[in-house]
Amino acid sequence: MDDVSFEVARGEIVGLLGPNGAGKTTTMRILTCFFPATAGRVTIAGFDVFTQSMEVRRRIGYMPENVPLYPEMRVDEYLRFRAQLKGVRGRNIRRRVQEVKELCGLEDVGRRIIGQLSKGYRQRTGLAEALVHDPELLILDEPTIGLDPNQIRQVRGLIRELAQRHTILLSSHILPEVEMTCRRVLILKAGRIVASDTPENLHARLEGRARVIVELRGPSEEAGARLRGLAGVQGVQVENAGGEWVRFTMECARDRDVRAEVFTAAASAGWTLRELRAEATSLEDVFVSLTRGEGGAS
Amino acid sequence: MRAFFTLLKKEIASYFLSPIAYVMIIFFLVVMGFSFWLLVSILVQGSISATIMNELFGSIFFWIAMLIVVPVLTMRLIAEENRSGTIETLMTAPVSDTEVVLAKYVGALVFFVLMWLPTAVYALVLRRFSPLTAPMDFGPMFSGYLGATLVGAFYISIGLFCSALTRNQIVAAISCFALINLAFISGFLAYVGRDEIVRNVGAYISSVEYMRDFGRGALDSRAIVFHLSGAAFMLFATVKVVESRKWK
Repeated sequence: MDDVSFEVARGEIVGLLGPNGAGKTTTMRILTCFFPATAGRVTIAGFDVFTQSMEVRRRIGYMPENVPLYPEMRVDEYLRFRAQLKGVRGRNIRRRVQEVKELCGLEDVGRRIIGQLSKGYRQRTGLAEALVHDPELLILDEPTIGLDPNQIRQVRGLIRELAQRHTILLSSHILPEVEMTCRRVLILKAGRIVASDTPENLHARLEGRARVIVELRGPSEEAGARLRGLAGVQGVQVENAGGEWVRFTMECARDRDVRAEVFTAAASAGWTLRELRAEATSLEDVFVSLTRGEGGAS
Repeated sequence: MRAFFTLLKKEIASYFLSPIAYVMIIFFLVVMGFSFWLLVSILVQGSISATIMNELFGSIFFWIAMLIVVPVLTMRLIAEENRSGTIETLMTAPVSDTEVVLAKYVGALVFFVLMWLPTAVYALVLRRFSPLTAPMDFGPMFSGYLGATLVGAFYISIGLFCSALTRNQIVAAISCFALINLAFISGFLAYVGRDEIVRNVGAYISSVEYMRDFGRGALDSRAIVFHLSGAAFMLFATVKVVESRKWK
């Protein structure tokens, strides 16, 4: 981890995004007081995670990656144990356990042994556990990893629902997930934050450059030079598309649509054009360009 | 303190949720039962009754049971949390590392004592059916149980320490077995040491000798100090191992 600094305001949902090994889990472990940062300071709800660790821990709910649970316990037993451990007292234990079970759809499996539950139910048990003491901040490490598409949708819905009452920090290496659930995205790469913005703004950042794909039959060097010469074109990549066909990927300024000019150029030179289209950019492009370290970084 | 009792309850309960515990109880009671059978067969020959508790608490069977039961009871304690990752949810709950270690330790010790309980029947059997005029004393029996608990307290702390070092239960069990064997065998320095000093030290750390005393009904404060301070030291080391993830 290197010089990572960010703030999460109350009520925000923030996604930590990054390739494997970027430091997402490490960040979360520091936040949850599992181990300390070698340098720097972290405060949660005004408490320092190192010196006031107990106060911080009472205020966070943490679901680690792969949702570790005790397989020999029953769901009810486990939730009651965790509630008690996290300082829920007396009559509240029963009430809170009931509430989180309803919230996470666990009413029917309370008596089941955790080891025999499906992955989806285990995930929900983990989430219920993280919620059982009604924490201010929820920290979820890869909350949908290993689930099937239906379960992923359910968990995402649940997270959005929870966002109404809790501040949420979640990590993922799956883009659509972050795009769909979070209001702000932090992109981590090799222990550094390379971007921090709303998904919309991140889109806009790449949309500053539009991409046009051109495939034509003609001399690649001459055509390449011609396309590069068009106004607003920032770069052209050339690749062979089989036979005499050549494929050009053009990076252009957003406010200029060069497609008409490409067509005129091709027509006047007598090159046969078989594809001409503008490509939409996705958050994936932002992610790829940021985490590969080529251009586009702030 | 509340967190400690919550954890303790969970630790004891999880013993009874795992099959290993029941297998160990059976193994232990079979070995102790055999030992009791030997004791009775000695009594039948009309032998003296002065050291009958030695047959239970000082015999080789007692030590076989100890050396095998303790590693199996303790191997899971922290290693399994390390392996499954539950250590992360456990240590990010508002509990201190010391509370976790102590709860696991006391839980194992309570289970160990519960495992001994059924052997109390032997004493009742002897009292009821022995032809001797002074059938048996409760004194040596009490001190025998006290000794067994002390040795258990020390050995379990070693097992807990080994369990904290690894995420593999087998590694934990084998290293615990090796260490408590070392502790057990070094007691024999009292006999085989060449030096006067070595023999004296050997006598001081010999759990075997202490158990003989306890079986005779002699309460030796040195034994209490030795085993309890040993356990305290190992627990301290265990807390440090658990804390080591936080070292900068």
